[in-house]
Amino acid sequence: MITRRQLGWTAFILAGFLLAMNFGVAYLTRNSVPRRVMRHARDSQPARVIALGNSLMAAGFEEPVFDSAAGLTAQEGAVNLSLGASSPVEQLLLLRYALAHGIRPHTLIYGFYDLQLSQPVEFSANDMIGNHAVLYYLEPIYARQFYSMSARDSLQFKALHNVPMFADRGAIWSKVEILRRSMAQQGMPQQNTNQFGKAADFSLLEPASADAFRKDCEAAQQLPLAPPVAELIRQAHEANMDIVLVEMPMRQSHRAQFYETKWWTDYMSHVRDLLQPYHVTFVDAGDWAADDSLFDDPLHLSQRGARLFSQRMGELLSVKAGQIADNPLK
Amino acid sequence: MTYLFWFRQLLEYLAGEIDSPPDGFSVRLTTILFWGLWWGVLAAIVYIFSGQSSKFIYIDF
Repeated sequence: MITRRQLGWTAFILAGFLLAMNFGVAYLTRNSVPRRVMRHARDSQPARVIALGNSLMAAGFEEPVFDSAAGLTAQEGAVNLSLGASSPVEQLLLLRYALAHGIRPHTLIYGFYDLQLSQPVEFSANDMIGNHAVLYYLEPIYARQFYSMSARDSLQFKALHNVPMFADRGAIWSKVEILRRSMAQQGMPQQNTNQFGKAADFSLLEPASADAFRKDCEAAQQLPLAPPVAELIRQAHEANMDIVLVEMPMRQSHRAQFYETKWWTDYMSHVRDLLQPYHVTFVDAGDWAADDSLFDDPLHLSQRGARLFSQRMGELLSVKAGQIADNPLK
Repeated sequence: MTYLFWFRQLLEYLAGEIDSPPDGFSVRLTTILFWGLWWGVLAAIVYIFSGQSSKFIYIDF
């Protein structure tokens, strides 16, 4: 039998172990994907163009190809700060981070997917894993005004956002998940994967049906811009940036089912009206990758597709003395 | 005693099911350093297996 005192000492040793684990997690996640993006921002002070968005932009925008097509030098060219699986809140934070670290861009290229510009951002504590971890350590208190959570999750966030073991739990767990996947593959037909995961999984992120998408579009036409999007645009405008909003390239089936419809046209017209005060330039790049072989999975451009997209963006936005060329953008 | 039986007793001891260790295992309940670290190892195992449970799992490499 152990005494209460011995139990207390055992708990103390456990607390020491957990503290050491926190240091270990902080060390092991020093090069996590969001931190690599932040470092890229710090190392790109002379950049004159910022590309921002989620994984569609992360996979689709190639800096050297864009720079060369836009007539920019590598140093004063574009910096791609897009973050996979990010919401507009993380994108706003990355823009602010870049500006706070001395980047003075004249152009912001913001790639969006479906109704992302309008849909309010909601999280549960369980969702805030992986690249969403940036919400724990990049202006966490400031960012809270742009997304909603339940009272319980909000309390958990306040209590634990400074604890590396909690904030970066996804970075450690993902290694186990990758191991699990490789073990599950033993003796099974090879699954198509890319830098973001299993290719087939991404079809789960598309709208369930054309009808569901129509309803979402109609609902979104009653909404203002999502608060983080409105703030991102406002801050970019205040920083004297030319703002270019890009409807990202999509596969033929996605375009036919969702984009080549009256409700999508109506929705985009609604968004354009909302953005009128900011002189935003829209680029409808939805059909730029007409051939589905230019995609790696149902959503992301392949390397070849990314080169094509970046080349065309660069040509379109050939930058002259800090001004976007007066090309008709299509 | 077979190895399997001994191993079962060891697991039961480590899990708190029984209070006495099997023969040949010298760690007593009063060895606080061992138990503190053992609990830590268990916490670490729980930790690394706690992740997403959604149908779609996104991992950015």
